[in-house]
Amino acid sequence: MTRKTVCIALLLLLALMTALPATLAQDNVDIYGRELPMDAAPYEMQVYRNLCDSARQETSLSSIVTVYSRICSTGAFDKFSDSLVVLNNNMEIIPSAATDWSVSEDGLTWTFNLRGDQMWSDGTPVTANDWVESWRFMADPDHAYDFVWLWLGIIDGWDEAVAGEITPEEIGLTALDDNTLAVTTQVPFPPLPATFFFWPPMQAKALTEIGPGYILDPETHVSAGPFILKEFEAGSHTVLEANPDYVGPRAPWLRRMEFVYGDMLNSSFLAFQDHQIDQVGQPLLSPADFEVIFADETMSQNYRQHAGDFRTDYLLMDTFTEPFNDVNVRLAFAKALDRESIVENVIGTTVGIPAYSFLAPGFPASNSAGLKDIQDYDCEAAQGLLAEAGYAGGEGFPATELALRGESAFIQDWFIAAAASISQCLGVEITVNNLEFQDYMTRLLERPTTLQFGGVSYGMDYLDPANMMGVWVSTGRHSWRNEAFDNLVREANSFTGDPAERIAMYQEAERMMVEDVGGIFLVHRIQGDLWQPYMSATGNCWEPDRQGLATTHWGNEHCWGEYYITDEVTNYDTHRNE
Amino acid sequence: MIGYILRRLVSLAFVLFVVSILVFVLMNLVPGGPFTLADRGYSGAALENLERKYGLDKPVHVRYVNYVSSALRLDFGNSFAVAGNPPVSQLIARIWPVTFQLGLYTIILSFGLGISLGIIAAYFRNGPVDNFVTLVATAGIAVPNFIIATWFLLVFGFQNGWGEESKWIIGPIAEGGAALLSWDYFLPVVTYALAPLALVSRYTRSSFADILTADFVRTARSKGLSERAILLRHVLRNALIPMITVLLPQIPNLLTGSLFIEVVYGVPGLGKFFVTSIFNRDYPMIMGLVLLIALLWGLTYLITDILYTVIDPRIRLGASKGA
Repeated sequence: MTRKTVCIALLLLLALMTALPATLAQDNVDIYGRELPMDAAPYEMQVYRNLCDSARQETSLSSIVTVYSRICSTGAFDKFSDSLVVLNNNMEIIPSAATDWSVSEDGLTWTFNLRGDQMWSDGTPVTANDWVESWRFMADPDHAYDFVWLWLGIIDGWDEAVAGEITPEEIGLTALDDNTLAVTTQVPFPPLPATFFFWPPMQAKALTEIGPGYILDPETHVSAGPFILKEFEAGSHTVLEANPDYVGPRAPWLRRMEFVYGDMLNSSFLAFQDHQIDQVGQPLLSPADFEVIFADETMSQNYRQHAGDFRTDYLLMDTFTEPFNDVNVRLAFAKALDRESIVENVIGTTVGIPAYSFLAPGFPASNSAGLKDIQDYDCEAAQGLLAEAGYAGGEGFPATELALRGESAFIQDWFIAAAASISQCLGVEITVNNLEFQDYMTRLLERPTTLQFGGVSYGMDYLDPANMMGVWVSTGRHSWRNEAFDNLVREANSFTGDPAERIAMYQEAERMMVEDVGGIFLVHRIQGDLWQPYMSATGNCWEPDRQGLATTHWGNEHCWGEYYITDEVTNYDTHRNE
Repeated sequence: MIGYILRRLVSLAFVLFVVSILVFVLMNLVPGGPFTLADRGYSGAALENLERKYGLDKPVHVRYVNYVSSALRLDFGNSFAVAGNPPVSQLIARIWPVTFQLGLYTIILSFGLGISLGIIAAYFRNGPVDNFVTLVATAGIAVPNFIIATWFLLVFGFQNGWGEESKWIIGPIAEGGAALLSWDYFLPVVTYALAPLALVSRYTRSSFADILTADFVRTARSKGLSERAILLRHVLRNALIPMITVLLPQIPNLLTGSLFIEVVYGVPGLGKFFVTSIFNRDYPMIMGLVLLIALLWGLTYLITDILYTVIDPRIRLGASKGA
């Protein structure tokens, strides 16, 4: 080997040693210039993928336009600005786009101070006017917003604007200056900040000049949120990329999020097992899937349980007509429902716990233990109550149909088991009919209702009993009325005194409802998410909460800034290798 | 012939008119609407806003007249349920090519292979080949395609990322268009083709077997014609008429897609809209799709009748009785 060759080799080695760390560093730094977590896969691989439902009605990526038809329930929507508040992993309301807020002495005016440093991707600043214009858009009767109920009776002028009696400009949202938003309410409403959790604003300028469709077209799309829309084709795919201009509490480690359309209900677990998607929610997993999950060490470790939206499944009745207008009949049905056995044998203890009241354990004002005795299973007592109502041994009781709301096969099984339990105990004939969703809702909401007996579920929209209990007041969806209950819930909703006293009022109201058997409660769902073993999260997103659950809780939107792909991904053949 | 075709086209227009009335009335009779997704119901004012937004605040007959007058100007309304509420015609124009391609490949595979297998089975009838074709055909008809699709997913893995460039075999003609041929189509086409393949092979076999035992075939053989000439000139032509009657109407079905195939494989096509638009009460989309499929069926039957005259010159279309 000549000296010249040695020199060239040394120079090459030197060049390589200089270049290599630079390359590695580049792969380990995100677009915000932050170094990725130690165990993270290279930035190029920070791609998250999930499924969207091919069969669902979907019309917008923003909750300002629609709630019931948002695109890709697995996470594509509402990533294009920050809401005023979010929930942390202990389910406490914490600031997001707002730094802080206060309420006037009379409890009628709320003032939110905004961060002031957020910008839309077209270079215009995020201002309080974006909130004002977004809320005016929702209140405008021409837009027929599908979630107007949330602020009916709450935001000043909201009801009148929705009814077309005043203009949307007259609702009680005002930009005091660029960074201060004032909200006036009709009555004091302590949980108001919680109701602002879901609704990141749209850009006022684009909303006015282009219309709500601006958010769906990458050409006109603007974002002040952690992600920005890169591709969108309805029914095919949605692609988001990290927004390089984002300033806020949820700057993402993920470089890109891809959402592809498919048969979510039947294909999600298959796609997950094939490492083509990174997460599956509990509603998409069947009992058979859970058997596979809990037989597998890796999958069972990565199934993270949480309370979700504190959803309760229950039976409802038309209490205005026979036979369910008799409280003895309703209580007989409630006491004939062997929830322990149904949860043990049909639902599964990983998916639910028996419910004897509406508010699930952990939800504010829940009193599940204190109310258990009222509707607890007692077949003998149930038979006595039915006899008292004039149907001894089920004799003369009309054949009854239990209508369901387009439920999946495994949730149908829950209600079939419930019908069987009641039927066996009381000797009444119950058939189960799984109606189409729209058909069910139409029949439920007709007045007088044409749905005599049904199975249904409900979960929270915001973390306050005002929300969950509000569904039972007489203007809600149920054909059950109790004036004392209505008055107490309304009083509690506006109560600005001692919070403990307010909680006690809701507990008293729930007791009235359970005793009067407004509903027969079956199961509080335990929800959860199955994550790929190479998904992780920084911050306190997956730190154990006060109940010891290390999981993403409903409402913790900041987690989207914490997720990342670990280097374990290289051990699997995933969508990133395509 | 031209007079006959014109008469048929006029009657097709009448059929479309009747279908549009029936479907419009029926879909409005079905309970629910495009806005009954809300968990908590709607207040009076909110309900009125929604009805006005979707044009449901007017009586059915007024809405129908408005629809027809717009449809005559090729404006079929805007979808209620698809993101951005695009015009139905635009939506169909955008998504049908994918379904059309899927259907076309399915037709080529099922008809090409089915006819070949049917002929072979008929020629060697009651032998092992015939038995094998019968077995495949029975399985193809008996096992629903959503079961087969699920098996394929289990065996070959989950398919997603529809339309990715890396899977193209023959790229699109125009920039931004769908690939002419892509590996994306492989599993959906095979799944989709199994049932029609079974049907085609069974009908071909049965039709050929009947003709092969006919007197004129025996006569042709006794005249010393080659087997090839007998098969192509005499058997094939005579066997085609019953086959056309049964098989051609399969084509509109295949070209308008399948809910199961499209949903299971995540194909962004038209098929799933036939069912989801009904679930979602997407009235403009329901009307657009029903009219499209009615038009395709009408045209297919017309083409079928014309083909009869091409295959058998003794058949005269539109001739009066005794003429």
